[in-house]
Amino acid sequence: MRYWLGGVLVFFLALVQASSVQQFHVLGVVPNLMLVLLAAWLVVRGLDDVLPMIAVAGITLGLIGLQTPGLVLLALLPLAAFGVVRELHIVHSEVLLVLALVAASTVAYEGVMLLSVVGTGGARDIGAAVTRDVAPSVAVNMALTLPVYAVMRVARPVERRHRLSY
Amino acid sequence: MTARTLAWTGFLAVAAFVLMAAGRITALDPVENLTLVVTAPMQRALHDATTPIANWVNDFTDSSGLSSENAKLRAENERLTNDLARAREDATQLKNAQDANAIKQQFPADRFLSASVIARDSSNARRIVAIDRGSADGVKEGMIVVSEGRSLVGTVSKTFSGYAWVTLITDPKSAVSAMVQESRAEGVVAGDYGGSLDMEFVGQGAIVKQGDFVITSGIGGGYPPGIVIGRVSQVKNAEQDLFQSVQVDRLASLDQIEQVMVLTSFEPKTIAQP
Repeated sequence: MRYWLGGVLVFFLALVQASSVQQFHVLGVVPNLMLVLLAAWLVVRGLDDVLPMIAVAGITLGLIGLQTPGLVLLALLPLAAFGVVRELHIVHSEVLLVLALVAASTVAYEGVMLLSVVGTGGARDIGAAVTRDVAPSVAVNMALTLPVYAVMRVARPVERRHRLSY
Repeated sequence: MTARTLAWTGFLAVAAFVLMAAGRITALDPVENLTLVVTAPMQRALHDATTPIANWVNDFTDSSGLSSENAKLRAENERLTNDLARAREDATQLKNAQDANAIKQQFPADRFLSASVIARDSSNARRIVAIDRGSADGVKEGMIVVSEGRSLVGTVSKTFSGYAWVTLITDPKSAVSAMVQESRAEGVVAGDYGGSLDMEFVGQGAIVKQGDFVITSGIGGGYPPGIVIGRVSQVKNAEQDLFQSVQVDRLASLDQIEQVMVLTSFEPKTIAQP
């Protein structure tokens, strides 16, 4: 995929995340469509392809989504580290891999966000943070993963589109 | 992992910290302002387009059901509760032998600036909204923001020329000097994760009952006294604890708030340490 096209797509998705998706409160949290899409993208296209998209996503969502600049980028970076797991071929099912990646990267994303709150003088009730924020976010993002992944399979190179393993 | 991937990851990590540092010294404010100016109409259009779907999904997934009806009832309840709380506050003031002039001095004619919410924080950890009024309209950092029903919404935390960020009272970094209206017991209402409100530092001897009104106390100079925050929803009083655990049910429906009022006639005061 041409990088500029991916950049435009991610910018538009950041707009959707900040203006539309944030209206949906499921289990008390807002789904992170951007994170799910990047994880699915990572599994379908590989780490080299998704890193520039993480950069665009982190910067644009930081600016549009009223975040501290750079914080979203930092929170998305663990996704790159988890992406190494894909290269190890521990599991051969893409669906399982993308679900695991979404769960792990959601924990990392919310963890970075919570650390930034705690580190700058915010509430320190970690138990409440886990039960009201992190755990519901993992569940909601995983529920969102399958439909997003199904769409993202279309972005796979044609010769690999009908393979269930990567 | 290839060398290219490692280089990319390292570059992004450095970029993230550089951006955070630049944000700290407000070097990115012009970029943030420009971004809001450019994207606000698009965000508004996307927001309006998906609101019916979001309402349907939220109704469907909300365990208590009928969240939109609940929001309407909450708004009505907020207005009525505010009227009642203000009446009680007036009565308390009169009971304390303050004459009408004294009350007028304490509550000067408030001036409000109406504003629309144009963007919301996209994370689950924070509770921040952007409003379409900024420093060009006279909005300053620290100003108080209330709902149309006049209950406390939050504080202006950052201003741009045409926009401002408002940190909601439910934000985990929010803390408001407050007191229980009935018993005058003082404490601090702090936001917590998940959008809940806790009243902290309420002594064991203080009388706090479920249903009591919680209002701003004015102590510290950051907030004017007498603005309604919410009602006490739960009190836990364990003997071994130093303070009571008081949960507060906010009056304003902050998750879906669209219109707010900036209290421009009040500017927060910074009180020097003794």
